[in-house]
Amino acid sequence: MITTIMDWIDERTKIRTIGDFIMNRPIPGGASWFYVLGSSLLFVFILQMLSGILLAFYYVPTPDHAYASVKYIQNEAFLGSLVRGMHHWGASFMMVLIALHMLRVFIFGSYKKPRELVWLLGLGIIGIVFGFAFTGYLLPWDQKAYWATVVGTNVAGTVPVMGGLLVKVLRGGAELGNLTLSRFHAIHTYILPWSLALLAGMHIFLLELAGAGGKWDASRNMPDKTEPLFPHQIFKDSIFILIVFFAIAALAVLSPAGLEPQADPTDTTYNPRPEWYFYFVFQLLRIFEGRYEVIGTFVLPTIAGMLLMLLPFVDRSPERAPAKRKALMSLAAVAVAVVMGLTIMGSMAPVVQAPSVTAPSVLAGRLLYDKNGCGACHSIHAKGGTIGPDLTHVGAKRDGDWLLRHFKDPQALSPGSIMPKTTLPENDLKELTDYMQSLK
Amino acid sequence: MSNNDVSRRSFMIRTIIAIFAFIGASLGAALGGFGIIPALKTREPGWSDAGTVADLVVGQPQERRFSEVVKSGWQSEKQERTIWIVKKPDNRVVAFSSSCTHLGCGYRWVEAQQRFACPCHGSFFDINGTVLAGPAPRPLDSLMTRVENNRLFVQYEVFQLGSTEKMRA
Repeated sequence: MITTIMDWIDERTKIRTIGDFIMNRPIPGGASWFYVLGSSLLFVFILQMLSGILLAFYYVPTPDHAYASVKYIQNEAFLGSLVRGMHHWGASFMMVLIALHMLRVFIFGSYKKPRELVWLLGLGIIGIVFGFAFTGYLLPWDQKAYWATVVGTNVAGTVPVMGGLLVKVLRGGAELGNLTLSRFHAIHTYILPWSLALLAGMHIFLLELAGAGGKWDASRNMPDKTEPLFPHQIFKDSIFILIVFFAIAALAVLSPAGLEPQADPTDTTYNPRPEWYFYFVFQLLRIFEGRYEVIGTFVLPTIAGMLLMLLPFVDRSPERAPAKRKALMSLAAVAVAVVMGLTIMGSMAPVVQAPSVTAPSVLAGRLLYDKNGCGACHSIHAKGGTIGPDLTHVGAKRDGDWLLRHFKDPQALSPGSIMPKTTLPENDLKELTDYMQSLK
Repeated sequence: MSNNDVSRRSFMIRTIIAIFAFIGASLGAALGGFGIIPALKTREPGWSDAGTVADLVVGQPQERRFSEVVKSGWQSEKQERTIWIVKKPDNRVVAFSSSCTHLGCGYRWVEAQQRFACPCHGSFFDINGTVLAGPAPRPLDSLMTRVENNRLFVQYEVFQLGSTEKMRA
């Protein structure tokens, strides 16, 4: 039955010929554990796509719902923490695997003729993966999301000439807000996935056409050592993919994706930190200060990207053995050491525990104001209800003593007021009063 | 190929199939559960104030609109609901869901005929909700009610349509 159906399909699509071509693609020198990185990346990409689509069942990309919807996914939806955790850790795995994959290809000299285009497409994929990471972590709209994106978009602003324009285009306006969130969401869920699918498809297709590079030592790529992609290489790929899958699932359970308090653009006490894979950029910003900043944010990354792009065209000798490519290997070692060093330094950057400009009692009062629903009737800076008086400048009009007595018995000071008596502990009333007095 | 090669090859193929079957099944279960289970959650009905009962007249059904606070995912929102309420000769107040039990169309009271008529497929119900004619498979769905200080409180619920049994959706 199945054979009959397959025959029918094959007659019309030549699917068996195509399948045989791919499955029997020779791996010169035989299957190797070194070659499992590309296929595991494809697996993680599919995992990200599936978990991302499912997250979109609940996620809403507007500032007034984004945080609550992510909180719902994280705390209430069935297996929500697991799915979000897998998406979160999948991103980190993609970064690690893509770096290892590139390093493997570099060391093996696999970017050389006839695979130069495969290498270039790979670089494009790396750019897209960084784009995913950058646009992805604004989406939860928590403190980390907000502040990392404020800094990240401002980094784009340091690009010479176009900087100012770039920031506006990225943010969808002068400031970070609802327009930023919706365009980051569109980029993250429409533009980048399709771009990645296209580039990854071409990357794999061109590799099929050009053939795998195999071992760097040509004498080990003799026909008698050659093995087909299926099942020999795919077997090793599958084992590694299973390990990656277990690792991502285990991390999602043991170390769930974080969710900080909701984004607060007025908070000056928060210490913004990017995700670990951006620590090297973060550290570059700490090294290159002032007018040299552009070196860290634009010049160095651009030079690195250009060098990688030019690599297969500059290094054209057919020699692939690392031992005979000492200069390039040393360069790679230095580059890896620098990126790792910057990442480690970035992770250890001291947190600024500056004494808060705002008194603790004022901050506590602000929380009490929110918690007790004062904003249902009163408004501050145009946010809140209109039943009670606007409190934006209440601190300039009333003194502390009046405010404190008014909380306890509004009608005694403002006859006819419909405000209920505030029945909070004395200390809470004191903090609320301090907050009111700070509103000048 | 030697026998050894053949068994090695078949071992590899079986392992590959087993690994992807395992990943597919566990991932499918996790993602499927995440996408589907929250949708199956039945909501706990709460009491909503559906207005006064003072103006109800025995034998004259009245359409009533009221709003109910509904928790939907991460947000609670006010939703407008419509019910039919009927005052019985013994002063009890009965409330019916405004959906025809056939396919959910909104039905209405036809004073001249003294019966509820559904405009879609011609189902008719008497003032007690009993089916008089048409494809409706069961009587109108009554809702839990309670009267306090002359006000009617209703537990609004949504039921599965098209079945002979009244089941919560």
